[in-house]
This record gives sequence, structure tokens and C-alpha cells, in this order.
Amino acid sequence: MADVDQSVGGGPAARRPPPRPATRRMQRLGQAMFLLPAVAYMVLFYGYPVIKNLSMSFQNYTTTTFFTGEAPWLGFDNYKAVIGSAVFDKAVLNTVLFTVGSIVGQFVIGLAIAIYFQRKFPLSGLLRSLLLLPWLIPLIVSSTIWRWILDKDSGALNRMLEGLHLVGDGPGWLTSTSLALLACVVVNIWIGIPFNVTILFGGLQDIPEELYEAAALDGATGWRSFRYITWPLLRPVTSVVLVLGVVYTIKVLDIILGLTGGGPANSTQTIATQSYQLSFVEFNFGQGAALSNILIVISLIFATFYLRATRRSVDE
Amino acid sequence: MNALATRRELLTPARRRPHRTAAGRPRGDWRHSVLGGLILAVMLFPVYWMVNVSLQSGGSAVSTPWVPLNISLDGYSNALADQSSNLRTSVIVALGSVAFSLVIAAPGAYALARFRVKGAGLVLLGILLSQMIPGIVVANALYSAYNNLGLLNSILGLILADSTTGIPFAMLILYTFMKSIPASIVEAALVDGAGAFRAFVSVVLPMSRNALVTAALFIFLFAWGDFLFALTLTTTEDVRPVTLGIYSYIGNYVNDWSSVMATAVLASLPAVVLLVVAQRYVAAGMTAGSVK
Amino acid sequence: MSTRLHTRSVRWVMVALAAPLALALAACGGGTASAPAASGEVKSIQILDYYGTEPDNTIYKEALDTCGQASGVTIKREAVPGSDLISKVLQKSSSKTLPDVLVLDNPDLQQIAATGALAPIEDFGLSADGAAQGVIDASTYEGVVYGLQPITNTVALFYNKDILQAAGITPPTTWDELKTAAAALTKGSQYGVAFSAPADYESTWQFLPFMWSNGGDEKNIATEKTADALQLWVDLLSSKSASDSVVNWTQADVNAQFIAGKAAMMVNGPWQIPLLNAEEDLQYGVIPIPAPSAGENVVAPLGGETWTIPNTGDKARQAVAAKVVECINSDKNQLMLASARQTVPTKTSLQEEFIAANPTMKTFSDLVQTARARTGQLGTNWPKAATKIYTAIQSALVGGQTPMEALQQAQNG
Repeated sequence: MADVDQSVGGGPAARRPPPRPATRRMQRLGQAMFLLPAVAYMVLFYGYPVIKNLSMSFQNYTTTTFFTGEAPWLGFDNYKAVIGSAVFDKAVLNTVLFTVGSIVGQFVIGLAIAIYFQRKFPLSGLLRSLLLLPWLIPLIVSSTIWRWILDKDSGALNRMLEGLHLVGDGPGWLTSTSLALLACVVVNIWIGIPFNVTILFGGLQDIPEELYEAAALDGATGWRSFRYITWPLLRPVTSVVLVLGVVYTIKVLDIILGLTGGGPANSTQTIATQSYQLSFVEFNFGQGAALSNILIVISLIFATFYLRATRRSVDE
Repeated sequence: MNALATRRELLTPARRRPHRTAAGRPRGDWRHSVLGGLILAVMLFPVYWMVNVSLQSGGSAVSTPWVPLNISLDGYSNALADQSSNLRTSVIVALGSVAFSLVIAAPGAYALARFRVKGAGLVLLGILLSQMIPGIVVANALYSAYNNLGLLNSILGLILADSTTGIPFAMLILYTFMKSIPASIVEAALVDGAGAFRAFVSVVLPMSRNALVTAALFIFLFAWGDFLFALTLTTTEDVRPVTLGIYSYIGNYVNDWSSVMATAVLASLPAVVLLVVAQRYVAAGMTAGSVK
Repeated sequence: MSTRLHTRSVRWVMVALAAPLALALAACGGGTASAPAASGEVKSIQILDYYGTEPDNTIYKEALDTCGQASGVTIKREAVPGSDLISKVLQKSSSKTLPDVLVLDNPDLQQIAATGALAPIEDFGLSADGAAQGVIDASTYEGVVYGLQPITNTVALFYNKDILQAAGITPPTTWDELKTAAAALTKGSQYGVAFSAPADYESTWQFLPFMWSNGGDEKNIATEKTADALQLWVDLLSSKSASDSVVNWTQADVNAQFIAGKAAMMVNGPWQIPLLNAEEDLQYGVIPIPAPSAGENVVAPLGGETWTIPNTGDKARQAVAAKVVECINSDKNQLMLASARQTVPTKTSLQEEFIAANPTMKTFSDLVQTARARTGQLGTNWPKAATKIYTAIQSALVGGQTPMEALQQAQNG
């Protein structure tokens, strides 16, 4: 990536050749001004919370601390307690299943829909806009609607399935320990499709028509044109969508709380919901912070590995 | 290539490219619209259900019929009476967040993409890291700060807070797309005598218009749907986004679901209008016309 | 060359910057947290509660405005969604902006009192004497009373008179009768009984009367007595007398099922009465939750909110706040609130008058006299125990464990 040639200064003052070192410093300063507001904002709004969360995880932080400000130092005790609790293993497993299931579903379906909408047909613009509706609706409303739809006895889904004689007795989507997590994944996919469709669609539009035409002349259409043209050229966009997707999904809280509250019998308890439970239901903020830090570390590890892997393939 | 000519070419709206099959016939028929509509119907069934419940009085879960037979507009009259000012607040905060986020994020993303900034990788990792922080952590920290600064119950405060998701996200998206803008274009502008900032504003921004619109779309949606900051950073009803206002129908024991759903439907309308307008630009592709 | 400065793009950016800023500055509300009056007269009192929905919102607004007028102050209320109240309290604690009057759900009082944020009510000459014992216990922390609770509620068994009559079944009074009745009343899409057992405190709340009436103790739930109570629920589910969906239903959902005729009986509270009364075709009756066997007592949990006075550091404001709390707890207000909100006044001396004016509330009123506070024994350790209880309930109902296994795992995990 070529560096922009900055050797020509701006404006009438540049007529006089200024001394070299000062120009370079001023240029660097000008460049810094581009980045300064963003960095300042991030430090102001994120710096303190991150540090606070980190220190809270090492303290005995309870409701009393909010009033008195006292929080005895516990070292790694909170982490030990959290990792050793009966729910932890299940929460980690659920988190992995939930995230992988949601991302795969959202991405594949999102890509399929985005590719389909590449064709020009009447109303395609309007339909694409309406596709964003699931993301537009307040989460409390979405989760309530889905709870009703998925109700075992009187939910719309089971009524439909029973009416079409596909099942005898509607499954307990939210009441069975084996189906509840799947139900949460499906709802999360539903919410995540608009995000994927929009970004992937934009990326697909960038791929020049000529490439497809040239490939068609060589006989490569359909799946082969996807594999050799679409997929490689979509790689940078795919990276952004997947990494952000994982980062956002791993901390999903409101959907699961709204659908099942983490139940039944902890079958939909993830690290994020368990962290919320510890902090705001049992008022053990130290342990809740410890768990949320573990979550952040997991996200970070994934992001680092993934970005390193894709950077190698993009730099060609 | 003359920078001016390039700009003129880039600024004309992308023409619709008819999709050609191997046989060369352009397609644009209604069969695809129908299938597209069906896909949408399946995806949007819950949205239909939301409208269905909003039109029934005492909208409750159990015996809601498939189609609202006895239409009742109670939910809508409640929603209009109580939530109009909240809707206005939500729109102002969301649009404000879009403007603020883009003004901060666009130059930043450009700097990361173009200038060889020391530690650019670190900044990007920091941005990604910020997205991993649970919202509650940020909200709690902001409450004390806002309280001391007198920013509680203010539109400005909410705009600043809602941008905590918008700015990092916009920077990541814009960085990805600004990287693919060839240096030659910008150099051409600089040779013509423009300063770095002018080159950015006059050349880079118009070229990134579609990426900017995509980013704006998501910033709007993030801010529009925010509940956490609305709850934490307001203590009175003066400034109350609709995501919080909807809770005046959701009590501890009794819920007025028709009003809740009616509010959700009404809240979707201005957003849908904005989305339809924005989609025109997203349709053109995010680096439309960038010279490869 | 300098024409570049006024390109459309730059102008666009300027407008984009200016517009929202102008809007924001114009719309910038008062914003500052109200500082306590430095000295002299107290003009207004701040109250934090969760009565944001109708009709509670209006009922309390009017009652509090009247109380405020009597003390010469205006009332500023902040109402938040119920599940977010404690978060707000903690935020306000740490920023030293606690309200003058804080309304808490009664099981939360001990947690907050333990932090030192609340002032004992006797500091202001108030006393909780005359209220039902369970009510006083809930508002007491380490022997000191920190709040006054004007009204309370509990759970009971509602039954559909028409359905029971048609099936020739009398309302059950023991657990065995409950099982038989529920089984007989289950046909088609109608279940015999419905209750609420989701993964949160509503589950615990509904289970407590069964657990306590059988002698179960929240200090250690892995006992035979508690296991027997849980077995009752497990049996109701396994015999299909109750739907599996109980593990996902809130009490509001249970009520909706009852109204729709999908459940012949339900465990619920008096706050549903206005909705039930609104259904013209529905004839319902209320009886206490069945006891384990004939003649045994039923011990129910106590609901309702308690009014506390935080330590804001301003003695003058606290004194006025105390007057407002006393006012809302007066005999007149207790009766008014109880009738308007379908709850029970806490002062035992008012029961007769109350039942005379609201005969449908008799069952609840009787239950309240012997009801127990959830935090009575465990105090600040209640949230943990409550979580264990509903974890065990869910594991036993749908998690494939026997009641004893589930209770042991929850108690020790």
C-alpha cells in the first residue's frame, strides 16, 4: 500500500520552500489530527470502563461497595470460584454452540439472500430495505413475539406444524433442554441476517461484471464462478462480517434472557448470561466481572487468530 | 488521469447493470420478485405477528387468531398519545449519533488506511476490543461521569453515548473500504495543490459515499435500538427514547401488549423510510467507481 | 484554487456537524442532578419506584401528591422498569445521588440495608407496629426496621367455577385432591392446573407456599420435606395435568392461559383480578393453596413493596421524606391503595374493614396474617438461596433429575 506523497504542502504559503524538518513535523501533526478525535473518544468512553471491569474482577465487589466504596482485594479468587462453579463448563459449551451455530446460519443464509438479490428485478430495492426489519424492532418486542410463536401448546409454529400434520404433538421449543438452545440460535440467526445481507450485498456489488462475463466465456458459471471469483474477492468483507459477527454474538444477552432466562435447567446459560446473573441477580459483581473478562479474552484470542490467518491470504 | 475528470465520473450515480445470462438476455421479470417476496414473507412472519397483535385489544398470547378479525385501534391511540415525543427524541438522537460518529470515524479510518501511523494495528485491535466489552460495563461507568458533568437527561449525552457502538463499527467498515482506494487518485489531488484535509474532503469522501451510507445505516440502527443507555442515562421523562418509553406498558404484573406492539410498529415507520432511501446508495456498491 | 474550500462536500460536512449540535444544544434539558438544598426550606422530594405503568402510575401519583401537599413539598418521581430498579439504586449509591424516598421490592430491602444506604425508621419517630409480623420481618435487618410497607399480596389457587361445576369437582384443599382434580380436569387442549416455573424468582415465589407448608426450609433445601413438595410439581407435569410450558411461563402468561380456558385452575396473585373481572364470561373462585394434608396450615410468601428512607446526608430532607412515608402508610392510604390495586393492607386492625368492603379479597387477607417474609431467615443470603430453589425446580421438572438429586446439586453447587 503506497504511502501518500506528502512532499507538497498546501496553500499559497507552500510557494516559499519551508525548512524540511518543520514541514514533516507539521505534516505528521496534521495526520495525527485525523486520528486524534477518534482515539480521544475511544479512550474517554472505553478506557475507564475496561480498567474498572478489570479491577472489579480482583475485588470483593458487592452492593455495599457501591455505597461505601470499599472492596477488599481478592486476587484471583473470583476467577477460581467462577471457573470452578458447576455451571461454568455448560456455559462455555453453550456459548461455543450458540456462537458457531448463529454465525454459520447468519452468514450462509445472509450470503445466499445477498447473492439472490444481485439480480435486478422489480421491487428488489424495497424488499432489501424491508429485510432490515428484524433488526429494527426493539429486542424486548422481538423476544416476546418469538416466545409466543414458539410456545409449545398455543404458539403459531406448533399450530402450523400440527395443522400440516408434520408432527403429532408440537415439540417444546423453549421447554425442552435439548431444543431450547437451538431455538435461541434460530432466533439469533433471524436477527442477524439483515446485518450480514446488507454488508455482503455491498461487497458483492463491487465485484465487476466484466469478471463474470470473462469467466462465462471460459465456461465457468454458477458454482465455479462463485468459488473462483466471488469468494476470493469477497474476502475482506467476509473477514469484517465474521469477526464482528463473532464479537457481537458472543456477548448476546437480551435475546436469551427474553426467550428463556438462561433455562430451562441452565440449557441456554451462556457466559454472558451467567455473568449478568452473577452481577445483577446475585449481586456478586466481582465474579460477574471476572466472567465477563474471560469472555473478552476468548473474543480477543479468536479475533487475533482469525485476523492473522486472513491477513496472510489477503496480502497476495 | 486528471483528478477532476475522475471525480466527475465517480459522482454520477451508478447505472443499473442488467444481469446477463450466458445467453445474453437481460432478466428483470416478476418471478424473481415473487420468490423474493416469499423469502421476505417467511423472514418477516414475526413482524406480521407483531402487527397482528397490535390490532387486537388486550392483545395477549394465547388465543390470538391468525388474522385480526376484530380490529381495535386502542393500542395505536395509546401509542400515539404517549409516545410521539419519545419517537421524536429517538429520531433526533439516532440522526445526531450518525452525524457525530461519521465526523469522528471517517477521518480516523482514513488515517489508519492511508498514513503510516505508528501503532495502527494497535488502534484497530483496540477498536475490536472495545466491541467486546459488555454494554452494561460502559453504561455504569458513564453514569457517574455524566452525573458529574450534568449530562444526564440530555440529548447530547445520549448522542455521545450511543456513538460508543457507532464509531468503532464505522471505523472498521470505512477502514476496510478506504484501503482499496488507490493512492494515485489522492496523489493526483495533492499534486494539484490540495492539502491533506482538502484531498480527504473533496476526493476521498465522495468516493467513499456508499461505504459512508452503509456505515450510517448501521450507526442509525445501533442508536435507534439502544435501551441500555436510554435507561441508565435518564432519570426523568423529559428525554426518553422510545425503547425506554415502551416499558411504560410493560409492568411487573400486567402487560399491555397491544400498546407495546403498536408502539413498535409506529417506531419502525420512520426508520423504514430512512432505510429505503439509504438502500439506493448501498445498492451501488461500497467502492462504486473506484479505479481498479 | 481556493474554490476547493466551498465544494459541496465541505458544505455538506459543515451542515452535518452543525445541525445535530444545534438541535442538541437547543434540546439540552435541565440535566443536572438536583443538589440537596443547602439550607432552609425543603421544596421537593425525590422518589424512586417502579410504578411506571398504568393504573399504578396514576394511583401513586395522586396519593403521593396529596401526601406531599400535606408536608408542603412537591413530589418528583422517577419510575423505572421493575427489573432495573436495583441497578439504578446501585448507580445512585455510588454517585451519592440516592433519592429521598426509595421504594423497594421487600426481599431486596435487606441487601440494600446491609450496605448502610438506608436510615432506620425509628430515627424519625416512625414505627411498624400494627403490621402483620411477616411484613415487619421483611423490612427488618439485624433487628432494626428500615422500611414501612403499606400493602402486600401473596399467591392462592384460582379456579374456573364453570369448568369445575361441569366436571362435578369440588375445589381441592389437599395435595392429593389437587392431583386428582387436575388429572380429571385435563382434556383436549385444557390442562388441569397451570403455575409459573421459569428460570427466575417467579418460580421460587410460586413454589414457596408448597415448600413452607410442608415444613421445608430455605436454609437447606436438600431435605425430604422440600423434595416431597417438588415431587408434587413433577407429578403434575409427568401426568400431563400441567403443561411443560410452565418452565417458560411468567405469572402473566399463566393468567392468559387461565382466561383462555386452557387451564382449569391456576396459582396466581390478586393483581390478576382486574383482568379476570374484565372477562365477562369468566366465573372464577379463589381458595388458599392446598395444604399437604387435611388440617395443615398453609404458609404463603409475602409480596409488595416497602418504602425506605436513604441516607442522603441531608437531615432536613430526610425528615420530610419520613413524613411522606408515614403518610403513604396511613390507615386511609392503606385501605385506598389496597382497594385500588387489589392488594391487602398490612395493618392487622384494618382487615375486618377491608374484607367488608372487598369480599373477593377474603382469601388473600386471611393468608397474609400467617404469611412469611422471604428474607426472614436468610437476610442478605436470600438471593443465593432463591436461585438454588429455581435451579432445582427446573432440573427436576425438565432436566431429568429426581427432586432429591436436583435439590442436592443445587444446594451444593
